[in-house]
Amino acid sequence: MSLIHLEDVKKSYSNIGMVTQVLKGVTLKISEGEYVAIIGPSGAGKSTLMAIMGCLGRPTSGSYYLDGEPVDRMNDKQLSRIRNEKIGFVFQAFHLLAGVSAFDNVYLPLVYCQTPPADARIRVREILEKVGLGERMSHSPGKLSGGEQQRVTIARALINQPKIILADEPTGNLDSKNGAEIMEIFDRLNAEGNTIILITHDPKVAARAHRTIHIIDGLIEKDEINENFPEPDPGAERTRA
Amino acid sequence: MRIFRNLIQALKGLGRNKANVFLMTLGVAVGIASLTVIVAIGEGTRAKVLDRIAGFGFGPESFSLYAGSGRLFFRKAQMPTNLSFQDLEDIASLPTVRHAMPRQRKRLIAVYRKNSTSTRIYGVTPVWQTIRAWPITDGKFFDARDMDRKNKAAVLGATPIKNLFPDGEDPLGKSVRIGNVFFKVVGVLEKKGLTESGYDPDNRVLIPISTSVARLTHEAHLHSIKVQAMSPEVVEETMEATRRILRRNHNLSSIAADDFRFVTPTGIMEWVTEQKQAMNRMLILISTVSLLVGGIVIMNIMLVSIRERIHEIGVRRCFGARRLDITQQFLFESVFVSMLGGIVGTVLGVVVSLILKRTDMIPVQITWEPFVLAGIFSGAVGLVFGIQPARKAANWSPEETIR
Repeated sequence: MSLIHLEDVKKSYSNIGMVTQVLKGVTLKISEGEYVAIIGPSGAGKSTLMAIMGCLGRPTSGSYYLDGEPVDRMNDKQLSRIRNEKIGFVFQAFHLLAGVSAFDNVYLPLVYCQTPPADARIRVREILEKVGLGERMSHSPGKLSGGEQQRVTIARALINQPKIILADEPTGNLDSKNGAEIMEIFDRLNAEGNTIILITHDPKVAARAHRTIHIIDGLIEKDEINENFPEPDPGAERTRA
Repeated sequence: MRIFRNLIQALKGLGRNKANVFLMTLGVAVGIASLTVIVAIGEGTRAKVLDRIAGFGFGPESFSLYAGSGRLFFRKAQMPTNLSFQDLEDIASLPTVRHAMPRQRKRLIAVYRKNSTSTRIYGVTPVWQTIRAWPITDGKFFDARDMDRKNKAAVLGATPIKNLFPDGEDPLGKSVRIGNVFFKVVGVLEKKGLTESGYDPDNRVLIPISTSVARLTHEAHLHSIKVQAMSPEVVEETMEATRRILRRNHNLSSIAADDFRFVTPTGIMEWVTEQKQAMNRMLILISTVSLLVGGIVIMNIMLVSIRERIHEIGVRRCFGARRLDITQQFLFESVFVSMLGGIVGTVLGVVVSLILKRTDMIPVQITWEPFVLAGIFSGAVGLVFGIQPARKAANWSPEETIR
């Protein structure tokens, strides 16, 4: 069964009576453990697609099953729970809370679930150590470098052991050295079995994924397997749109 | 519990926005402070009037009759001269009256050797002591003989004693000059002490009213008459009879208003109640306005604050915050800030009240009511004016706030 299943998803925004259709019927399946890059020029609908996959917004029409659950019919409470438990976001602009320590930033998703505080603190500490920020837990984002900030956002995305990591241009704000380090983290996470969806316009970044989906003008133009990429777990079923 | 987590997030959020917290707190604090001061003044005024009544020495069977139209202690005309000894005689001859005591009153300087003091001089009859039941600690009260002979005998309260005989000299038999007349001290009244509002009942000198008329005031009219009826039941009846006598004696036409006024314990209580109600209406008006202002300050700053923190709200939503969580967080912020304002305002109000009390300008009494009121009202203000910004924050779609 697919982890993500979009069926003829359309999304339009209306602004002062003008309706703009951003997604014009996207059908897409992504299985557990995949490493997918979604690539396309700006304005093609990448971010809208990510918002829908991340349960930040609902499709105008079409259906979306996440882990077998019909997300397009869920209310705010259920969507919030899905975002909390199943999705980890990594953003280009980091979107860390200003003036809040790295520790508390990573803690954020745990505020909104049932984890007992004592366990939560241990988990936050462990994960920050894992991304190499064990020494800088009390620093606020302003006192961290871009690469360190992005590692905090990755730690935050991972803290609740989500099914999917959704990364929107994760290297967009970083220099090439830091960008490469961040990409290595993603590679490693995928090797550990995490499902990763990268949104990018950089073919070099996309080349690290084992599947590339090209989006142009609100439609999937091409969905291809990266030949150089070693096949992950053989059991993983993959369905093409 | 989720709600406690949101509370903690709210407190942390406030910690990061101290300037906003300061402004919002100030907005509410000013309102609550004014409320606290007004309540304290209201209570103070009430307390002052109440112990004025207590100091009056009234029993339920007594009432006072003051010269001049008006109400209670508030005289309309200056220096009325219409209450006469004839009136007194007529009242005293009523069958329901036990005692009728005339009174002249004048504020004068009393001098003994090099010491002088300003005090109230009362010309009364020996019945005074029976009616007031005020013990004499030294010497005796002047008697009917002193009255007949217009003797220059004086009974002094504790305050003039203290001021005129500071060295503890025995005042009895000493010659004290009051105005231009020398009086012999025949008795000393027991000390009662200051009342809570600062009225000094001990600052008085009592002399025979005959002496007062003949030698001190040279006036034949009375300041007031104190009437003691046979029993509390006949007070009403006696007052009516008194009114008829006075209107006849003073030749008042049937449409003219009384040129005298009654002071009774019930009259005073009614007046206090009226004053309190008027005070309460004003209080409600002023506190409503000031709390409204405080609430609007909170609402405005919260609206600006959520605009500034739209990004934070988006991030929270991305990582699992429900609309309800965001609403709760911001509502906690406004309620907390408002209650903080309530606390600061109460403290401020108490400080101002204490300063007023110390400077003795206005009677002030601090009671527990303002604290409870401040707590309830500030919390309510935060809740009412915080709900709209909080819901607005919660209703932004996470997709848009994160852009």
